Amino acid sequence: MSRFPLIALAFLCSVAALNAVEISKSLVRIEATSQEPNYKTPWSPGDVSSGVGAGFVVDGKRIMTNAHVVSNARFLTVSKEGDPNPYLAKVLHIAHDCDLALLSVENPSFFKGTAPLEFGGIPDIESVVSAYGYPVGGTRLSVTRGIVSRIDFQPYSHSGMDSHLAIQIDAAINPGNSGGPVMQNSKVVGVAFQGYSGDVAQNVGYMIPTPVIQRFLKDVQDGHYDHYVDLALTYRNLFNPASRRALGLEDETTGVQVCSVYSGGAADGNLKPGDVILKIEGHTVSSDGTIPLENEAVPLDEVVERKFKGDKVEIEILRKGKPMSVTVQLKEPWPFKLQSNLYDEKPRFVVAGGLVFQPVDQNFMDAHDPSDQRLNYIFDYFIADQLHTNRPEIVVLSNILPDPVNAYAEEFRYSVVDEVNGRRIKSIEDIASAFDEQADCYVIKFAGGGRPLVLERKAIEEARPRIRERYDVTAEKNLKK
Amino acid sequence: MKPIHFQRAVWLALVLLLAIQSAPADDDTSASASASKSLLRVNSTNQVYEFFQPWIKKPPFSRRGIGALIDGGRILVTAELVANSTFIELEKPATAEKSTATVERIDYDCNLAVLRPADPAFLTGMQPLALNGPLKVGDEATILQLEPNGDIAQTLGRITSISVAGYPSESGSLLLLKLGAPIQQRDGSFTLPAVRDGRLIGMVMRYDARNQSADIVPTAVIRHFLAEVDSPTYQGFARLGVAFAPLRDPQLRRYIGLKEPGGIYVADITPRGSADAAGIKKGDVILAVDGLPLDQDGNYEDPDYGRILFSHLTNTIKHPGAVLPLKILRDGKTLEIPVTMQVANRDHAISETHLSDEAPKYVILGGLVFIELSRPYLKEWGSKWASTAPQRLVYYDAFQNELPADRGRIIILSQVLPTPDTIGYEDLENIVVTKVNGQPIKSLADLSEAAKKPVDGFHKIEFEEDPKLLFLDANSIQSNADELKKHYSLPALERL
Repeated sequence: MSRFPLIALAFLCSVAALNAVEISKSLVRIEATSQEPNYKTPWSPGDVSSGVGAGFVVDGKRIMTNAHVVSNARFLTVSKEGDPNPYLAKVLHIAHDCDLALLSVENPSFFKGTAPLEFGGIPDIESVVSAYGYPVGGTRLSVTRGIVSRIDFQPYSHSGMDSHLAIQIDAAINPGNSGGPVMQNSKVVGVAFQGYSGDVAQNVGYMIPTPVIQRFLKDVQDGHYDHYVDLALTYRNLFNPASRRALGLEDETTGVQVCSVYSGGAADGNLKPGDVILKIEGHTVSSDGTIPLENEAVPLDEVVERKFKGDKVEIEILRKGKPMSVTVQLKEPWPFKLQSNLYDEKPRFVVAGGLVFQPVDQNFMDAHDPSDQRLNYIFDYFIADQLHTNRPEIVVLSNILPDPVNAYAEEFRYSVVDEVNGRRIKSIEDIASAFDEQADCYVIKFAGGGRPLVLERKAIEEARPRIRERYDVTAEKNLKK
Repeated sequence: MKPIHFQRAVWLALVLLLAIQSAPADDDTSASASASKSLLRVNSTNQVYEFFQPWIKKPPFSRRGIGALIDGGRILVTAELVANSTFIELEKPATAEKSTATVERIDYDCNLAVLRPADPAFLTGMQPLALNGPLKVGDEATILQLEPNGDIAQTLGRITSISVAGYPSESGSLLLLKLGAPIQQRDGSFTLPAVRDGRLIGMVMRYDARNQSADIVPTAVIRHFLAEVDSPTYQGFARLGVAFAPLRDPQLRRYIGLKEPGGIYVADITPRGSADAAGIKKGDVILAVDGLPLDQDGNYEDPDYGRILFSHLTNTIKHPGAVLPLKILRDGKTLEIPVTMQVANRDHAISETHLSDEAPKYVILGGLVFIELSRPYLKEWGSKWASTAPQRLVYYDAFQNELPADRGRIIILSQVLPTPDTIGYEDLENIVVTKVNGQPIKSLADLSEAAKKPVDGFHKIEFEEDPKLLFLDANSIQSNADELKKHYSLPALERL
């Protein structure tokens, strides 16, 4: 929530206040104490902080809120209007990729007198909506009102990697609004989740629309949340007449050009670079990649967005001028997760001889901000250049806790580990097992093939108690997320 | 007792002061007299190409420095002073008499150039500066500058270090003197001569005002450069073509089985460089060069300069073509491998680190602008180019040694000049080309050739990354070529 700098509260509307009496039966104030791990000292439990967000009661004695309100939570309490008592709550389901979560409350009497809210559809452009929550930390309900400005795909900043349908409204969304319902005609039409700081744009707020919410609720029906699924391909407009003709498109036909198909992804084996996507699930794809859906032109991805792991998508394509139909079975695109912000995970690491080894992900990069050119390339192009096929996990020597055993290791900081004693390092587990093996010395080779780093077993053993004590290393490894 | 003691101390101090003051005073007059006949102001107007739009030049700018007249009627300056020069003017300090000059030889590796006046008679009455011998740390030297009236301004300083260090072209390291001297900011000080006893000790190429430290190209490097200039074919400075790591870590030394005290670890080899051609391999330990043992940091004992990096021996003392025996430890065995020292072959570079005095190549196809990857291109992103330029290109430039030796040049679609033929491609930039019309592309010449053979009326262009491939209408771009040239005022659609 801290990523949205505070801006002044929008106006309070008397018309909306009438509805507020109704809504107060459903609105929930959430206080979360969270602990964010420190990727520079991965063995330490991390700093504790607390924040306030909003939520609302939904069907099944559950509370809906944003994932970012309850991420990394260690202690959660909820309270309702007119009852100042905090009730202990816990996270039932959390979806970081679409910034939604469901909470349960331990004491069922919390729900006495509450009314679950119902969901509406996508509100019309220019129609009026009201956002409810506890912006800027207050304990009393606040209402802001605005109109629907735009309906489009937007990056969801919580994960930093996902884009889904989002609705832009001109009511300010401030910290504390997060997770609160946005209402129209007594129905929830969205969950307030992000805004802009005053520098970029003013009075711009975003809400998660009901198709995304409904998908989340349906996904968790089986008791656990699966990630969004993806075709794992990139496509591009087909405006150019030469490209259109060369790819076999006739004058009136439209479609988009498939660019990359990621190996191991859903479309791998079904689609190829240079294919033209003509239709997806029967919807005609226009030259810019949009399809008509519910009277809106939305990116063709929206079809996939609403589907689940294992679902199938029918795609009509043109390959070398020949029309074909392919069926793609959807799955979770795992390498993409590496470049999204991760929550509710413990940093994984191995410490040996004062050398700290860590797998590289977005959290690691944010914490360390390394300037190593090789590492930056490998991370930035991990997906585009499909580097994950050789190296499912990027393992680096992230830190050196100075000790005589590692006196000459400084030059290797942020180097990517290729091998230890001839064993190819494809994950942090590989590092752990390489150092578990008995050997006189450990020869570490790094990407790029410079000199090896050699640590003698005896020296590591001697250094172990020194390093543990001096640097307060409470654990020498953690391999579990 | 006490007063006597006091008096003696004062007397001693006075004598010392006198001695310090008188010695340079003598030096000053002699240096001044001889140096004034050897210095020329050099005003160079330089113009650099715009690498983003390689068909145009950036606005001209001028650099002013002081050249030193040396034997043979030539004026010695730093290469940077006259880099990309379009017009060079020599000016006598006292009379402001002027003559144009041309670059006789320029070498960016050693940052030196010799100029020759258009009219040799211009130098009549002037005296060439002789080159001084090697200096030691602690020796004094004087940096010469010119006052507006032509008088010489002298700043005395002391040599603070002598080492092998990076030169501005980023192509390698050569011997460098550092002189601690508080020189004043004066107009026309881009290059300055430094002297001792009226003899040239080197050319100041950089000055760090905060630390009051001048970087000087020493006479050892100047002598090598001039010897090459005087030889029938100029070759320049050879390179061994290895990147090494010091072998200080005792654990690593034990692992390698290194018993001798020194030695360095070959961490990387320049493909097709001197060491590569001689069969030196990654992982070899170099124990000695030309019979001179190396310490753990790669230093040898130089008769003139003491312990300095071996590359002074291989690059500067020796000339291209020299054969040096290298003592190598490989797999526990000691070998002696003769290495023929060669100059780095520019044609082998995948991305050139330095480009001056030549127009960058380009090919424009229907509005798509193709260029070769080079460091000057990346530097167009500004001082933080290494983090702000596209990381794939930065990576290819930085780690070009690791790419296959036959990779060839990296050809980039750098930008799109929108035309009716490029509709839908306007956003494409900085993507690496792999093939054109099925032909692999390893140079702009390859691309130009391949573009002569469209397939079924289309140019098919393939890339390493998205969009992976696109097409151009071959007939349409041909008939629109003149229009494209006119519209964007392009002098030509390609320069190879």
